[in-house]
Amino acid sequence: MNDLATYAFTSIGLFFFVAGSVGFLRFPDVFSRLHALTKADNLGLGFIALGIAFQAESWRLVALLFLIWGLMLLAAGTMSQLIARDALRERDGR
Amino acid sequence: MTWLTCVAVGVLASLSAALLRVWHGPGRADRMMGAQLAGTSGVAVLVVLAPLEGWAALDVALILALFGALAAVGFVKAVSADGGGDPEEDEDLAATPSANGVSSE
Amino acid sequence: MDRQAWTTLFHRLLFTSAVWIVLSGTDAKALAVGAFAVPAATWLSLRLLPGRDRLVLWRFLRHFPSFVGGSLQGGVDVARRAISPGMPLLPGWVEVPVRLPDGGRVALGAELSLMPGTLAAGVRGDRLLVHLLDTDAGFENAIPREEAAIAAMILGTGKEVGP
Repeated sequence: MNDLATYAFTSIGLFFFVAGSVGFLRFPDVFSRLHALTKADNLGLGFIALGIAFQAESWRLVALLFLIWGLMLLAAGTMSQLIARDALRERDGR
Repeated sequence: MTWLTCVAVGVLASLSAALLRVWHGPGRADRMMGAQLAGTSGVAVLVVLAPLEGWAALDVALILALFGALAAVGFVKAVSADGGGDPEEDEDLAATPSANGVSSE
Repeated sequence: MDRQAWTTLFHRLLFTSAVWIVLSGTDAKALAVGAFAVPAATWLSLRLLPGRDRLVLWRFLRHFPSFVGGSLQGGVDVARRAISPGMPLLPGWVEVPVRLPDGGRVALGAELSLMPGTLAAGVRGDRLLVHLLDTDAGFENAIPREEAAIAAMILGTGKEVGP
């Protein structure tokens, strides 16, 4: 049962990683690519963490998995703003 | 479970596809995004392999997540080396703890 | 110390203790080291980032499910656009006036970057620059809602926000 949940959630996670990369390759401008990277990849990581949580032997490992995911979410949210602002500056030739 | 190995390989494959974008660019932001993607993928691979290779991999993943964030901050700080003169930048950076100098205390 | 300082200290202590336990477990040895590490980390965090706004913890936690739902929607939406052959995109910009304090504005920007179709790209004056993945999809309608949710978490912004 737990293995089944792991199969399901890690597949979904992998799907979002692939979708994020496809968007990163196909989207026409830098800001749209940033959308793809920030949203899809971190969702993918969330699903992978959820899938692996079903294999964890203790509550501490589950909490650690979600601490890692939370940290990545926080970093992605902040970083996408910083990179977007820099891309805007680059576009305006500053 | 060999399935987890397949997921790890899949994540790495998607990362290597994305490296094409880093190669083509065209902007510096695209390349930085590639680095960020490498960070996210690395964390995902470590998380996926943790049940197989030992749960200590999660500690490595945590550290990698921290470093990824620092690298991106470093990038943004480095390319705007001109520093001041941009009120928007100053105003915005004042809100991030890393840029808010401790020296004021 | 006034009430706000105590609240901030309580939140930080709660946070650093939780992180410590997650990182090192509940062995007696780990807890003994934590007895020094947790106060030190709390002191450092208060020194690097003094609590300026009063965070209402339960409102923050109450907002969490809608945040997870939104980021799920955002990921699904961007994945669909990336994979569909026609690649339906109509990128554009909006500028929204934001009346949150600095910390709240960064939080709003980070949150918007994970919500469907919106991406914050810094501030010009007191207006937040937001990139939209599709200018026809009405993604920008979520912005005032998120701003209100964050304003509600920070006590006292009701007055500072003004008319």
